[in-house]
Amino acid sequence: MSAAPMLAVKGLSVHAGGKALVRDVDLRVAAGECLVVMGESGSGKSLLAHAIMGDLAPGLVARGEVSVAGERIDALTQDERRAFWGKRIALLPQEPWLSLDPLMRVESQIAETHALVAGRDWANAKACAAKDLGRLGLSASARQLPFRLSGGMAQRVAIAATMAAEAGLLIADEPTKGLDADACAGVAASLRAQMEHGRAVVVVTHDIGLARALGGRIAVMRNADMVETGDTRDVLSAPRHDYTKMFVAADPAKWPRPVAHTGGAPVLRGESLSAARGAKTLFEAVDVTLARGEIACVQGPSGGGKTTLGAVLLGLLPPQRGVVRRADGVEAWRYQKLYQDPVAAFAPYSSLRMALDDVVRLHGGEWAAVEAILARLSVPLDLLDRPPSQVSGGELQRVAIARALIVDPVFLFADEPTSRLDPPIQRATMELLRELAGERGLAMLLVTHDPDLAAAMSARDPIRIG
Amino acid sequence: MGALIRALAARLVQAALVALLVGVACFAIVELLPGDQAYRVASARYGEDMASGKAAEAVRAELGLDRPWPIRLAAWLGGIATFDLGVSLVSGENVAVELGHQFGATLGLSLLALALSAAVGIPLGIAMALRGGALDAGGLVVAAALRATPAYLIGLGLMLLIAVQWGLLPAAGYDNAAAWPLPAATLALGLAAMSMRVTRDAAARVLARADTHFARTKGLPESAVLRRHVLRNAGVPVVAYLGVQLVWLVEGVVVVESLFSWPGIGHALIHAVIARDVPMLQGTALTMGLLFVALNAAVDLLCLAIDPRGRRA
Repeated sequence: MSAAPMLAVKGLSVHAGGKALVRDVDLRVAAGECLVVMGESGSGKSLLAHAIMGDLAPGLVARGEVSVAGERIDALTQDERRAFWGKRIALLPQEPWLSLDPLMRVESQIAETHALVAGRDWANAKACAAKDLGRLGLSASARQLPFRLSGGMAQRVAIAATMAAEAGLLIADEPTKGLDADACAGVAASLRAQMEHGRAVVVVTHDIGLARALGGRIAVMRNADMVETGDTRDVLSAPRHDYTKMFVAADPAKWPRPVAHTGGAPVLRGESLSAARGAKTLFEAVDVTLARGEIACVQGPSGGGKTTLGAVLLGLLPPQRGVVRRADGVEAWRYQKLYQDPVAAFAPYSSLRMALDDVVRLHGGEWAAVEAILARLSVPLDLLDRPPSQVSGGELQRVAIARALIVDPVFLFADEPTSRLDPPIQRATMELLRELAGERGLAMLLVTHDPDLAAAMSARDPIRIG
Repeated sequence: MGALIRALAARLVQAALVALLVGVACFAIVELLPGDQAYRVASARYGEDMASGKAAEAVRAELGLDRPWPIRLAAWLGGIATFDLGVSLVSGENVAVELGHQFGATLGLSLLALALSAAVGIPLGIAMALRGGALDAGGLVVAAALRATPAYLIGLGLMLLIAVQWGLLPAAGYDNAAAWPLPAATLALGLAAMSMRVTRDAAARVLARADTHFARTKGLPESAVLRRHVLRNAGVPVVAYLGVQLVWLVEGVVVVESLFSWPGIGHALIHAVIARDVPMLQGTALTMGLLFVALNAAVDLLCLAIDPRGRRA
């Protein structure tokens, strides 16, 4: 057994019809080791994980050798492969918050894997689940339903449920997507703990910080191909392939530092603002002043009130105390917001053209002006005839920026606009926002949980909320 | 606990409003019917031949039908408020007592129909969601056809086929167990058609969800995935839809009871309309309205039991 690695993959490809989505990938991961598969959306990295697991969507075909602890599994039937799930190969799903059963209490979701997968009797399984929850610091949430958990808590519950039967191989699919900085650090710690227990861990991610925290080895994927592999620290500090260089340079920690903003008339001033949700105070005595073209950042944990501050500044919510002053003679609608999840910010079944045209008509503008904005943002016009679900996240966020620009805003509240985007796309989007701030004198308040990004976007100290 | 009390309190208020609205509406309908009310009551009591102008006048005086309508309306609403539904104009029996007998027959038939429709519609809907293909497509056609067919046609069809042609079950009656299947099936077929489609859509949506996929990848056997996760999640919209289906049920009960001579509220309602028996008409309509509210309250409680998320919100 010691000779065979926990996971060996040879010549693995995934095809949809005639199109190769993963091409000829070789991998080896030993027990206690970690492999990070890094790449942008659409690079095939998630499909690679699912091809190893054996849960590819219908219509996708995998070819090539996959061995787990020396045992070939690629030629097995679907039912035979399913017998490996949970027991030999564990998959930590994307978006654990959506992956937990919304109607089942947290402890039962863990206990059922102990009972039905690991084969313990129910009394024992419940005791094991209670022990898992205690170890994860979640004892108080044992009887909760998932909607009461934060993203980070849901992630820990999902790990416990996944690993109840102690599979030797753990595959984690984008485990930090949508989590704040504290929760990301927690995920890295949980995954390292799995390695220390002698498990092989494969992590699919676009999160450079997570890759750095995990160490081990890294494989960089681009357009279905594995373009570079090596020791994670070596590859991240001295990438050889051009794509890896571009990817690593997109890490906000590597961006050039901004210069301090000077001058300009103030467009927005919030004085000693306070807000509460129910009985809980979210923030108190916050002062915000932004001049034309200035960018400032807001930082703080999830649920801390960053979005509420935006609503107060935009005039959507009255502050509990304090005043918000806008520049004289500027209409309320020229204070705009950019949302975190661009998909959720568009009507799902209407074309993007209609979404933009509605704004043009409401404000009596010209379509030609929209086309000029789209050209400036490098949005191809043929994209507009699609619904939002058929456009990539980066492109859709640029359409959302274009929609905000139609009304010639003086202030943009950008609520984590790139937290769901890959680093290269994040960098392109942020650079665009910075250029627009300069060109148009657009003041911007950027919400982010990433301290590196905050430092890269504004020389001002970030406003801390929560 | 809070949500439970709120749900029940809301239904209680609704019950009071239903009582008021049904009371006023029934009264108005009877007032606006053409023909002389006293005469119709007399003919219902004494038979068409014996109903003379004199008998009608006697009825009018006895029942106070010559009083102005606002006074009669006020008297009737006052009666509802004190749970006094008056006496039947035809039989002279206390309406509440008569309704008591009929209510059992209607409730039994309704519950049997609901149980039958759930027993048929829900497993079929789940099978369609799991298998898809021809079963699913065929199910859609059958469900649409059944739902589009009025209850009396379904009832007549069943009667002709099973009672008359094959002689398997009696076409009408109430006295023995053999009388129950046909009227219950008539009601249940329309209900099952809808719950089958609702179950199928709900189950298909839950089967495609990330949490179902996670239940599978964490290693649960398929039977446990279905039993422990899919059924309960799919059950939320199915049970909620039951509340909507009750409209069809209440409407169907009137038709089916008349068709099968079922001595229930719906049957009594039709007879009360024919005889202009205002207290009886109002009593039956009121009972059906309140039955509708009570069943909806039961649906609310069932929803809270299946989906605990609403309990504290």
